[in-house]
Amino acid sequence: MPSSETERRATLPKEVPLHARPAGDLVRAAAKFPAEISVAANGKCANAKSILEILALGALGGTELVIAASGDRAAEAADHLAGLVPQLG
Amino acid sequence: MDGESRNGFVGLVLVSHSAAIAEGLAELVAQVAGPSVPIVAAGGGPDGTFGTDGGRVLEALRDAAGSAGAVVLMDLGSSVLSVRAALGELPEETTAKLRIADAPLVEGAIAAGVTASTGGSVDEVLAAAQEARTVAKL
Repeated sequence: MPSSETERRATLPKEVPLHARPAGDLVRAAAKFPAEISVAANGKCANAKSILEILALGALGGTELVIAASGDRAAEAADHLAGLVPQLG
Repeated sequence: MDGESRNGFVGLVLVSHSAAIAEGLAELVAQVAGPSVPIVAAGGGPDGTFGTDGGRVLEALRDAAGSAGAVVLMDLGSSVLSVRAALGELPEETTAKLRIADAPLVEGAIAAGVTASTGGSVDEVLAAAQEARTVAKL
């Protein structure tokens, strides 16, 4: 399989844990891209298009997330999500 | 996404023995999924007690099928029976737009709602709901 993985790091705002609402915003943003996207934190890795997996990361405010995208428009997806994470509220 | 989602967002029907559970869950899902996903709550018995109201479930399924279809989530027992009975009374063009999720109600509804809010098809929304059976919380 051709691989063009792009990795970006982004930190959640200090006061915003990745709970249901911001997780929903993140998943909606990820779903706009055809790329496969993962979000890793706390030693766990979640499919960015699955809210249940994102919630299970248990990421607290101020946590650094590692966003990895591969496939079609991977770099664009990773950049977009890395830009969104610090804006979540 | 595919053609099924072009005319609008896939909806959800939430069937519970408790009106408060169905309505509260509808509010919670709307908070997480945003206002674009149509959600119908069909909870409680005909006289406001705990139970299910077959007529109300039937009406909910008919209303929710809409153009993009709907995924139905239930708590257990007679909720499941009411949904099955209602499906038996609806015409095939309506049931063809409905999917019944075998999933935990709360987690399944949140996953389904978020996927519906991304413009997912009725089958994608169903798959998201049923993922709640296997995704660990911890």
